[in-house]
Amino acid sequence: MELNPVELKENPRPMPDQPGIDAYAAHLPAYALHDNRLDATGPPRPGGPARSVAGFDEDTITLAVEALRHVAAVDPPGRQLLLATTSAPYEAKTSAAVVHAALGLAPDVVAVDLRGHRSGATALDLAIRSGAVAALADLRTTRPGAPDELAQGDAAAAFAGGGDRAAVLLGRAGHTSEVLERWRLPGERHDRVWDERFTAEILATAGLDAARRALAEASLDTVDRVVVSSSNARAAAALRRALGGSGEDAALERATGFTGTAHPGLLLAAALDTAEPGETILLLSATEGADAFVLRVGDGVRAARRGPSVHDQLAARQPLGYGRYLRWRGLLDVQGPARPAAPAPASPPMYRRAGWKYRLEGSRCGACGAVTTPPGRVCAACGIVGADDPAAKVSLRDRTARVVSVTRDHLTTMPEPDVAIVVADVDGGGRLSAYVTDVPPADVTVGMAMTPTFRRLWTTDSIHNYFWKLRPWRDTDGE
Amino acid sequence: MASRRMAHDVAIVAMGCTPFRDHWHSSADDLLVDAVQECVGSLPGVTLDDVDAFWVGTQGSGMSGQTLARPLRLVGKPVTRVENYCATGSEAFRNAAFAVASGAYDMVMATGVEKLKDSSYSGLSAVFPPADGTDVDWTAPAGFSLLAPAYQRAHGLTEGDLRSALTKVATKNHANGALNERAQFRKAVSAETVERSPRIAGPLGVMDCSGVSDGAAAAILVRAEDAHRYTDRPVYLRGMGFVAGSGAGLAADGYDFTTFPEVVAAARQAYEQAGVTDPATQISLAEVHDCFTPTEVVLMEDLGFSERGKAWRDILDGRYDLDGALPVNTDGGLKSFGHPIGATGLRMMFECFTQLRGEAGPRQVPDARLAVAQNLGGQPGSCVAFVAVLGNER
Repeated sequence: MELNPVELKENPRPMPDQPGIDAYAAHLPAYALHDNRLDATGPPRPGGPARSVAGFDEDTITLAVEALRHVAAVDPPGRQLLLATTSAPYEAKTSAAVVHAALGLAPDVVAVDLRGHRSGATALDLAIRSGAVAALADLRTTRPGAPDELAQGDAAAAFAGGGDRAAVLLGRAGHTSEVLERWRLPGERHDRVWDERFTAEILATAGLDAARRALAEASLDTVDRVVVSSSNARAAAALRRALGGSGEDAALERATGFTGTAHPGLLLAAALDTAEPGETILLLSATEGADAFVLRVGDGVRAARRGPSVHDQLAARQPLGYGRYLRWRGLLDVQGPARPAAPAPASPPMYRRAGWKYRLEGSRCGACGAVTTPPGRVCAACGIVGADDPAAKVSLRDRTARVVSVTRDHLTTMPEPDVAIVVADVDGGGRLSAYVTDVPPADVTVGMAMTPTFRRLWTTDSIHNYFWKLRPWRDTDGE
Repeated sequence: MASRRMAHDVAIVAMGCTPFRDHWHSSADDLLVDAVQECVGSLPGVTLDDVDAFWVGTQGSGMSGQTLARPLRLVGKPVTRVENYCATGSEAFRNAAFAVASGAYDMVMATGVEKLKDSSYSGLSAVFPPADGTDVDWTAPAGFSLLAPAYQRAHGLTEGDLRSALTKVATKNHANGALNERAQFRKAVSAETVERSPRIAGPLGVMDCSGVSDGAAAAILVRAEDAHRYTDRPVYLRGMGFVAGSGAGLAADGYDFTTFPEVVAAARQAYEQAGVTDPATQISLAEVHDCFTPTEVVLMEDLGFSERGKAWRDILDGRYDLDGALPVNTDGGLKSFGHPIGATGLRMMFECFTQLRGEAGPRQVPDARLAVAQNLGGQPGSCVAFVAVLGNER
């Protein structure tokens, strides 16, 4: 067995004295559900709640990659990657390891999952204190027609600690309170919920206690912004009132639903998007107890945002019909084409080709400069041997690509009646044959600009198959 | 590149071909026995004992040479199984031809078979080796449909122009198949039927796709100088080219999906060996790989029958109709004759053989002297391609 030599290198950025957030990003999926009536005959209730919906090809892992891929461009000084979720794609297998692979982090960065409703706030806390990077990512699904179906949603947020460009931590307090509020047995798909009038009281009490102690630690009586996240909408409303919140967080939540472990991160990201340097923020997460953070917005907050703002992502969402939502989530068993399931990937080839599969690395030929995809030992353009030099690997994942030809597969094994597939040439060299996502297939045309996005292609034999698709390039991708 | 005529010229002296269709009551074994019996039965005084070596082509209907040896109970004979995607039947033929051309054997048989209808899937099914899961799991029609928008854009066609040309390929080949009792679909179809068929991939509907069918075909090959010992109407192999593509069309930028470079290269070899300098005028008829309608459009240009960018016009003008200047897919093609993968290449030669012997009945091309059989597998950008020129003169 061949072992890679351990790389001994200087830590590029020493940990700052004060804990804080160096960079952040939010990822909202491309779809929103406004109406969950099975037998709708008229338009949905105007101004009603909406939920953020992950595409059928998204899960906690892919949401986390999309949120983190620009935040974690540099290895974290805390040498840790944390993934907080209540909806991990695997039991037993660590989801953060897949995220780690897709981000191309160094092997000495430890990847670990945090589970449970409170893990989002915990991951944020650890990132701030230890200089880790954290992804808070969740998918929320209820039984069709559940009272809070439109009040749950899917999102991810990412934070890099080890710096203070976005914010500095002034105070922090927690409050643990064992109470049966939301729970789910292994193998079950939906949370069960206790009477929210009872749990709201417990959570509000815990929240106020944590907030009071965090403010005291920060030596502040008041803050400029209050951001409240709670798995219990009543508790959230009560806490916002008690703490004098403006209600911006509630308005955002009404457009996305409560996004589980991602929610405190999503609300904080939205606040940082518009906060001025020097402002103070109280972030309170009241879930299975409470976690309170008092932050001062950093001077570099604008540059600290990676990717589009929460507001821009909200504005770009496409409405989704309830039938499609149910099909995507596997809540409606629909007859597919007479075609065998897509094959499951195998472990050794996945491992051998991790650079291609997870980081979309082609090989650049030393002789002619052409990029071969997947990477091979012989250049596809000029036939010269030796293109497998590790130094000649080039990642295509953050490039744009132009559609050379396009087709629509009407016999797809995915939960859609048809899926666009393109061959696209990558700017700077390389060619991708890829599924297209986040856009109606009929809208994909020859010459269109696309960009890679990490997705779950399919699941066969209980193996999730992750790889890169292409989605239309947006103006905000250039930020 | 060295691709010479062989040490000995080769002739086909007998062929057999089952009807291609849903053979619900026949196995791959049954189909092979039928095709081989017809083939060997057409030569008086010849039995399977006289055949020195065998090749059997199949993609997924059998493993090893025993695919043929077992159903026929061949005793003490060498049998080689070959596979090369949809050019599998041609590959069986090609290797059998080399065996007699080398002088190693006096008489050989090439066979091909596929049993597709025993699965309950409507398209092709194949088992691939364990992989990393990064390949697009596209259907064959999806891969080939990439030709359509690329061709349309490259040559400035309107969507209507392209659709008309694709439709004409389908209606022409069904009209030809209607005259052929061995064809899977024996009914002419209207343009409306083609254009209203349910969409499968991109602009392609069901009626833009070849027939999924069961079938087998066989050929007996000898050295050309021996041919008249067996028949007074042998068909001679005049030239043959084969290319397994490097796959660069999908692995690097540059390839534009308006051509099959592998076909162009294979045709160049075959034409050169056959002394064909102007295929557009010298070829009497062609059997080409019309797996999907845009494939046939592009092939007319790759084979040198139409100028680049003009095939769609020539197709609409009737140049490739049964009564046109260069009839293409006179037997119905994959489109209407059907496409049992391992048998298709030999089925194409069966039609060339029949036409060159003047035995094609209502489909007969008058004064047919040179025929092209062109067969490919894979997908645009990454394919294997076979081209042969057959003639009724040595």
